[in-house]
Amino acid sequence: MELLEQISFNLQNGLDDVVAALTKDAIEKRIPPGEILSDGLIAGMSIVGEKFKNHDIFLPDVLLAARAMNGAMEMLKPLLIKEGIPIRGKVVIGSVKDDLHDIGKNLVAILIKGAGFEVIDLGNDVPAEKFISAAKEENAHVIGMSALLTTTMPVMKKVVDLAKDEGLYGKIRIIVGGAPVSKEYALEIGADAYSYDGANAVETVESFFPVNN
Amino acid sequence: MRSVVDFAPEDVILDRAAILGSQGIPEEAELTENFERIYGEAIELFKELTEPAGIICGISISGFEEVFRGEGLNEPSNPVEDIYRKSGYLSLFAVTLGAVLSEKVTELFDSGDYASGYMLDSVSSYAADKLSDLAARNLQLELTAKEPAESQWRVLSYSPGYCGWNMSGQKKLFEVLRPQEIGITLNESYLMSPIKSVSGVLIAGSGKIHEFVSSYHFCDTCRTKSCIERMRNL
Repeated sequence: MELLEQISFNLQNGLDDVVAALTKDAIEKRIPPGEILSDGLIAGMSIVGEKFKNHDIFLPDVLLAARAMNGAMEMLKPLLIKEGIPIRGKVVIGSVKDDLHDIGKNLVAILIKGAGFEVIDLGNDVPAEKFISAAKEENAHVIGMSALLTTTMPVMKKVVDLAKDEGLYGKIRIIVGGAPVSKEYALEIGADAYSYDGANAVETVESFFPVNN
Repeated sequence: MRSVVDFAPEDVILDRAAILGSQGIPEEAELTENFERIYGEAIELFKELTEPAGIICGISISGFEEVFRGEGLNEPSNPVEDIYRKSGYLSLFAVTLGAVLSEKVTELFDSGDYASGYMLDSVSSYAADKLSDLAARNLQLELTAKEPAESQWRVLSYSPGYCGWNMSGQKKLFEVLRPQEIGITLNESYLMSPIKSVSGVLIAGSGKIHEFVSSYHFCDTCRTKSCIERMRNL
């Protein structure tokens, strides 16, 4: 099995130490970092995504693979930057103000990161202004917001309104999610999309970047 | 009467099929070795770290009326209002699995062990619901023992944030119940800490009072639809 195939295979099995060692090996063998990323890591995660979609594996298996992906990405990221290889896209994510639930948001962040996007995780209890300032500072392409309480959902609208005030609306895509949130609510507040779970959030973000950005 | 209820960790029975079901995993699914390892570790961690506690407080129908009215934000038509008015006994309640479990989940995520963090969180969410069911069952047994002739007591829990009872109802409920005594606090968004806590009212009466048709407008957007199974199990 070729080295990149081995990376893909071991990533699918969630073996983070092995994936890290193989990635290090690939870097030392001067395999271009873009190739390690696309033909090793992203190739592996794509198969993981397919298996997950087909219910052949379940979320904990995906999270193990994501951990392996993230570990390898830490090694690859400086090389990708050095070679001027653009990242797939940058996503600012957080649970809205007064909402301390962050498991769902964490899972979405991990899965988006696992798909090769850069994720700036603002944590939970994030004020509307912080989403906007972080998106501007980071030149983010997407803002992702999570709310698990009906009482905190209005913060999502505040972020959309602030994006309009700041001239970011239409330039930065806004995704919302969380148990009480719906497609209709996303439409009502002017968000670009609603995602019902982590896998769907990855698909939605990917749909914003049909070709590697 | 208001009283603190002591639970033992082993009181919370963990049903594997139900826990996996809550993750959308069918019983017949083939699971990977990794999955089985993570599940086993999460169960052990849960048993080691859970600190279950509860508090209950009997309340009259008129007393509960005020608690339920809360901040005046309930849905104008909702099943809870219809049910509690027909009840034979009402008790406010709050149960928690304690802060240590939630801290462990956060720690696992922070250390990059997402799969274990997710599994422990999933087990804990299931257990928190079971603890609330246990509080309801204990009250049912207590009422039946007191009034053996009335053996048809059926007790179900109802919580703010569900079935048209607005989340803001937590404020009044906390004022009366004072679950701070067992370490449960409320933030400005009416979110409880520790997160793995459940609060609400235990409504006791015949099984029939709990039956309703889930055709309220908010039923369309309800994710749990747990009322259907609850009514089936009455």
